[in-house]
Order: sequence, then C-alpha cells, then structure tokens
Amino acid sequence: MLALDIRNLSKTYPNFQLKDVTFQLEKGYIMGFIGANGAGKTTTIKSMLNLIHTDSGEVRILGKNIAEHEIELKQEIGYAFGSIDFYTRSKIKTLTDVVKKFYANWDDEIYSYYLRRFKLDENKKIVELSTGMRVKYNLALALSHGPKLLILDEPTSGLDPIARDDLLDLFQSLVAEGEISILFSTHITSDLEKCADYITYIHNGRIINSAEKEEFIESYLLLNGSVSQLDPVKEQLISYKTNSFGFTGLIHAKDFDPSLNVKAARPTLEEIMIYFAKKEDMYV
Amino acid sequence: MYNLVMKDLKLAINPLFFVLPVVLGALMLIPGWLYFIVLLYFCWITVPNIFGQFRAHNDLMFTSMMPVTKTDMVKARVLVIVILELMHMVPAVIFGIINLLLYPDLTYYFFGPYPGFWGLCLVMLGIFNVLFIPMYYKTAYKFGGAAFAGVTGAMVFATLAQWIGIQNSYVSDMFNGSGVHNAALQTSILIAGIVIFAAFTTIAYRIAAKRFHKVEIQ
Repeated sequence: MLALDIRNLSKTYPNFQLKDVTFQLEKGYIMGFIGANGAGKTTTIKSMLNLIHTDSGEVRILGKNIAEHEIELKQEIGYAFGSIDFYTRSKIKTLTDVVKKFYANWDDEIYSYYLRRFKLDENKKIVELSTGMRVKYNLALALSHGPKLLILDEPTSGLDPIARDDLLDLFQSLVAEGEISILFSTHITSDLEKCADYITYIHNGRIINSAEKEEFIESYLLLNGSVSQLDPVKEQLISYKTNSFGFTGLIHAKDFDPSLNVKAARPTLEEIMIYFAKKEDMYV
Repeated sequence: MYNLVMKDLKLAINPLFFVLPVVLGALMLIPGWLYFIVLLYFCWITVPNIFGQFRAHNDLMFTSMMPVTKTDMVKARVLVIVILELMHMVPAVIFGIINLLLYPDLTYYFFGPYPGFWGLCLVMLGIFNVLFIPMYYKTAYKFGGAAFAGVTGAMVFATLAQWIGIQNSYVSDMFNGSGVHNAALQTSILIAGIVIFAAFTTIAYRIAAKRFHKVEIQ
C-alpha cells in the first residue's frame, strides 16, 4: 500500500513553478526529500497538506485523496515544520492542552514518554527552549496522536549531532513495524544516508529523481580525470568543476563509458545535489 | 468547532480583554455621555489588539495544521468575535441600568441607556462585523484595512444615528422622550437590533468563509 502518492502536482507563482511533481512512498518506509533552499520542498509539502492550492495534480495519502478527506487524513498525519513558532510565550503544557483536544487518538502516555526522552520540561515556555528543543517539542506533538504518516520539514536542522543521531534512530524504530511511514525534507543529506530508504530529489520545482536510496546514488557516478580526459565526456556530464589537477564531474551512470578509463566513484547525496545546482549555473 | 473557540479563548486572547469590557462598561456611569463610545472601544482597542496577537503568534499556520475545516476556522473566529462583543455589551447594559437608577432625573442630550439604544448599538456592531470580517478573510492575517473600514462604518452609523436623534424630534422622543416608557416600542427596536446584528454577522461569516477557501496558507 502507498502511504503517499503524489501525481503531477503543478503550481505556478510569479517567480517560481512547481512542475509535474510525482513520487510515491510505500507504507513502512522513510523517504528523504532533498533539494536546495528554494527548490520547492516546502511548497510541495504544503500542497500535500492542502495548505496551498495547486493548479493541477493529485495527492493521495494512505489511499485517500487529501482534497476529499482532509480532516480524516490530518488526524492520521503528524507534521512538524522545523521548530515550533506558535504561541511562543505560552508554556508547553498550555499549548499541548489546546493541541491534544483536536486529536481523537491523542495518547498522553506516549506524549509523556517523548517529553522524557527529549528531556522537555512541560512548565517551560516555548520561547525559553533552544531551536533544537523546539524541534523536539514539535516532534513530540506530532508523534503523540498515533500518526500513520509523518511529514517532517527539516526536522534535524538546529539539532546537535547527538540529538540528530537519536532522532534518526527513533525514525528507524518508528517505521520498523511497517505501520508508520516518514517523509522528511532536509538539506542535511548525511542524515538520509544514515536512515532513508528512498530519496526524492527536487530541483528548481521539478523532481530530478525519486528512487530507492542505493539505486538513486548508483544511478550517478562522480568522475575524476585530467583536463585531457574532460573533452570526450564533457557532453555527457551533468556538470563539472575544473582545477589545476583536472576535473571532477557528475554523470548519469548509464551515460558512462568505462572504456574511456576515467576514474569513476560513487557520489554522495550532497555531491549529486551540488552538481545538479551547478548545471543550472553553467547555462545561466 | 468548540476546540477552535477554546483555542482562541485559552491561548490567543490575553485575559486583559475579558476584564477590559467590565472596566469599559463602567464608563456607562458617566452621566449623559455619548454612550456609543463605550461599545466603540471594542472596535478601537480589542479588535486591533487581538488580531495583532493572532498574527504575531502565527495563528493562521498553527490552526491550519490542525484537523479542522477552513469553514470551521471562520465560524469559530466569528463566534469568538460575537462572544467578545457580547462581553462588552452585557456589562455596559448592567452599568446602563445602574446609570438609570443612579440618575433618575437626568436629561440625556445624547441617547440614554434604554433598550432601544442597545438595539442601535447592536446594529453598529453588526455593521462593524459585516465590514471587518469579510475584508479580514481576504488574507486572514492583514487586519489594518479591515479594522479601519469596520471602525469607520460603525462610527459613521453612530454619528448619523446620534445626529438624527438630536435633530429629529420624533426620533428624539422615541429614544429619550416619552418613547422610553413605551415598553413595546423599546423592545421592538431592541429585537430589530438583534435581528440586524444576527443577519449582518451571518452575511459576514458567509462571505468570509468563501474568501478564506481561496487563501493560501503561507
């Protein structure tokens, strides 16, 4: 069953366009949603949640169309848009008391568990929390009403390495039973290398690739060669950088000709993002 | 819907705005004052302050993320406005009754605090609602222009009503003269006020809900 099924989502703004965004997430998996700042991650997420109106396309969550079943689905989705910035002068306790009333499946025990796990003091005001602690509070809220799908926008930004690692472990334990699915957007790609099952990469409002993580990474190769080796591959490269030693460039694995004897290595997600962004600059 | 109303009352609105109506209501004890002003404080102070708070606390995004419909969001907010208006109205009426008991022989130049006057106040608040609420829901966060239009509409009505009340002997008699002892007349003006207030507020809600469905939550 698909936890998330996005098809042909399009939205035009005066200076930005979301074009034909299509991707699917199987139930019980973690999908990393990556892209540079302004690539359209948040716009896609907001369209998924019916917060903004799309020009065309369809969003189905847990098999149901969000436009027709918004309220029902919002009970089953936990979302956290980075750190919490609502009613920051209120105490955690006060805000939680208001939020929990909206959810039919709110579980106080789970909420208390996450407060303890995240070392959150209910009597503190939100403004007194650090960015990382605010992210954790937001996650505690998102996790306490029994969500089947978690949509997290930059959940690890602002967290220290230990907290990030703890969170990634938590995500993995959440999906382990196969009931919960997670879509999380980030530009900290190392987090995804640790825990994501699928990667969807958005660039300039378009989905460049959406695939199982290994397949996604293996579909690209990072080439390293001398200046003289650049010319034969130049046309096939997505983009490249040159320096005094030669060049480094990204290529679709299918376009690579091993007979050229250029050194090819497995790129990181970050390198894939960087070279795609560079491609744009080259044509400007 | 109930949860949304409670969210506004518990979280968004500073308790000051629940106490303020009582304090402002006491202004009804000023003998022979222009009593429209007592309720206009709602439009001048309470509305800009609480809507500024909604914006400062990013209430639109917060509420939109809850499992609620956009229609319910508007309905709840309109209900909150009506609750606050009644909270201003009730103490003012009570202090108005005290006023009548305290100064039995006072000659009112402006409208006295009789039931018919409260009917006019309800029309004034209805005008405020029908202008403010639909304009506000064009964006659901910009309240300046909407509050200005609402305040202007309410004040123009109050000024006109009061001017006619002074200039026209028939109207003056109805609201301050022998008409005040005509219970049927006073009650019917009050009921007409309630009906107009309810009608204007319902129209405001309908237009606002329609507009809010087109708003993008950023």
